[in-house]
Amino acid sequence: MFSTLATILKDNWEWRKQIGRLAVFELMKKSRGAVLSWAWFLIKPGMYIFCFWFALDVGLRVGSPDAAGSGPYILWLCAGIIPWFFMQDMLGAGIDVMHRYPYLVNKIKFPLSGISTIFTTATMIVQLMLMVVLFIIYFACGIPFDIYLLQVPLLLILMFVFWDIVSILFSQLSAISKDVANLMQALSTPLFWLSGVIFNVKAVSIPWIQDLLFFNPITFFVTAFRDAFYGKVWFWENPMMCIGFAVVFVITLIAAVFVYKKFNEEVADVL
Amino acid sequence: MSSNESATASLADAKSLHKTSVSDEVVIKFDDVTKTYNLYKNDRGRFLGIFNYNRKGSFLGSVDASKNLSFEIKKGEAVAFLGHNGAGKSTALKMVTGVTHPTSGMVEVKGRVSALLELTAGFDMQLTGRENIALRGQIMGLTRAQIKELEPAIIDFAELGLYIDQPMRTYSSGMKARLGFAFAVAIDPEILVVDEALSVGDRAFQRKCIDRIREIMMDENVTVLFVTHASSVAQEFCSRGIVLDKGTKVFDGPIDDATAYYEANY
Ligand SMILES: Nc1ncnc2c1ncn2[C@@H]1O[C@H](COP(=O)(O)OP(=O)(O)OP(=O)(O)O)[C@@H](O)[C@H]1O
Ligand SMILES: [Mg+2]
Repeated sequence: MFSTLATILKDNWEWRKQIGRLAVFELMKKSRGAVLSWAWFLIKPGMYIFCFWFALDVGLRVGSPDAAGSGPYILWLCAGIIPWFFMQDMLGAGIDVMHRYPYLVNKIKFPLSGISTIFTTATMIVQLMLMVVLFIIYFACGIPFDIYLLQVPLLLILMFVFWDIVSILFSQLSAISKDVANLMQALSTPLFWLSGVIFNVKAVSIPWIQDLLFFNPITFFVTAFRDAFYGKVWFWENPMMCIGFAVVFVITLIAAVFVYKKFNEEVADVL
Repeated sequence: MSSNESATASLADAKSLHKTSVSDEVVIKFDDVTKTYNLYKNDRGRFLGIFNYNRKGSFLGSVDASKNLSFEIKKGEAVAFLGHNGAGKSTALKMVTGVTHPTSGMVEVKGRVSALLELTAGFDMQLTGRENIALRGQIMGLTRAQIKELEPAIIDFAELGLYIDQPMRTYSSGMKARLGFAFAVAIDPEILVVDEALSVGDRAFQRKCIDRIREIMMDENVTVLFVTHASSVAQEFCSRGIVLDKGTKVFDGPIDDATAYYEANY
C-alpha cells in the first residue's frame, strides 16, 4: 500500500519534466486550429459567468447572498465559479485520461499516474490564467489585496493534488470499463447543483444538510475560494467543512492507491 | 551484377564484424515469463471479473501469449523473433519495452529502449510530424537542444516533404512507419525494438531501413530485436533467431538454422 504510494510519487517526480512539457502540448493541441487560439480559454468561462450572472442576478434577482461580504453579486459568483471550471474539466475529461493518451499507455513506457498529472497540470495552467483575471477583476472593483488572499495559492495546490488523485483513481477504472466514465460524467451535473457554486451553502438553514453538503469536495473548494476572495475569512474557521473534505480526501487517496496497485499493470492490455 | 557482389561482400563484412563484437554482458533476460490474457465477453464482464465475481458466461477463457519463456540476450546481439500470427512475438517485445507486464516471471532490461511497436509507433495523430518528433523526444527525456539537433536528420530520413508540418492523421500508413522508424533510429538507442514496422514501407525505404539497422548493429553496444515474417530480411542481418509457437520458445539458435526450422515446420 505505502510502497504503491511511494511509486506514484517517485514516478511523478522522476518524470516531472516530461509531464510539464506534455501538459503544454495538451494546451497547444486544444488551442490549435482556432483563430483566437489562446483566447478561447477565457472566452468560454466568460460566457458562462455572463449567463449565470444574467440569470441569477438580473433575472431571478437572487442578489448578493453573503451578508458579511462586500461588493456586487457578480464578484461573489466569479470567486466560486472559476475554481468550478477547473473541477468541471477534471470531472469531464480528467477522469478518463487513458483514452485520451492511448499511445502513452501501450506504445511508450510512461508511468500511468503521470498521465493524470499531465492533464491536471494542463487544466491547472488554464486555471491560473483565470485566477489572474479574477485578481484583476477584484482589483478593478477596488477590493484591496489583503492577508486572506494568501489562502489562494494554498488552495490551488490542494485542488491540484486532490483532483490529480481523483483522476488517477477513476482513469484506471474508466480504462477498464466505459461505465465508470459515463457514471462520473452523469454525476457531474448533480454534484454541481448540490455544490454551492451558485448558492451560498452557509445560508442553508437546516444544519445537517449543510454539514452533509460539505462532504462534497466541490463545495469545499468553492466555499474556501469565496472565503478568501469575498467573505474574508480563513477556511479553517469552518471546522465542519474541513473535516468533511479531509474525510473525502483520505478515502479518495486510499481508494486511488488501492486501485492503482491492482490495475496499473493491466490497463495497457485492455485499452 | 558487380554492385550486387559488393553488396553481399559488405554484408558478409557486417556479419563477421557483428559476430565478433558481441560482448558477454546480458542486457535482456527473460526468466520463466508467462503472460496470460483473460478474455471476457464484454467490458462489464471484465469489470466484474476484477472483483473475482465471474458470472457464468462472461468469462470466456484465457490465452497464454507467452508461456514459460526464458532466454538471455547479450549486448550487441541482433535477434529475430519468428513465428506465425498470434505466436506471441509482439507480446514478448512489449514486455521488453515495458508497456506490458508479465503475469509471472521476471523480465530484466538494461539500457535505453527505443521501440517501434506496430506501425503507428505511438504518435499523437492530431499533432504534426514535427511536433510529434518534439513530443517523443521529450518523453525520452531529451533536451530541447538535443531535439533541435536530431530533427533535420529525422526529417531527412523520413522523406516526408511538405507533410512534416501536417497533422499525422493525414499520413499514409507507410509515412507513419517512416517517421516512426526515422525517430527510433535517430536517438542512438541502446536497445532497438522493431516490430514489423518495415512491412508497409516501399522497397526503397525498406532497403534504406535495413542499411540503417546494419549501420546501427556495427556499433557493438546496440542490441536489436526484430520481428518480421520475411525470413530473408531476418537472415540478412540477424545473427540469432528465436522461434515462438503459442507463446513457447520452440527454437533458439543461429539465424540460418532458425529460419530453416521455421520454414520446415510452419
Ligand atoms: N491485449 C490483449 N488482450 C487479449 N489478448 C491479446 C492481447 N494482445 C495479444 N493478445 C493475444 O496474445 C496472442 C499473441 O499475440 P501477439 O500480438 O504477441 O502475436 P504476434 O506473434 O505478434 O502475431 P503477429 O504476427 O500477428 O503480429 C494472440 O493470441 C493474441 O490474440
Ligand atoms: Mg505482432
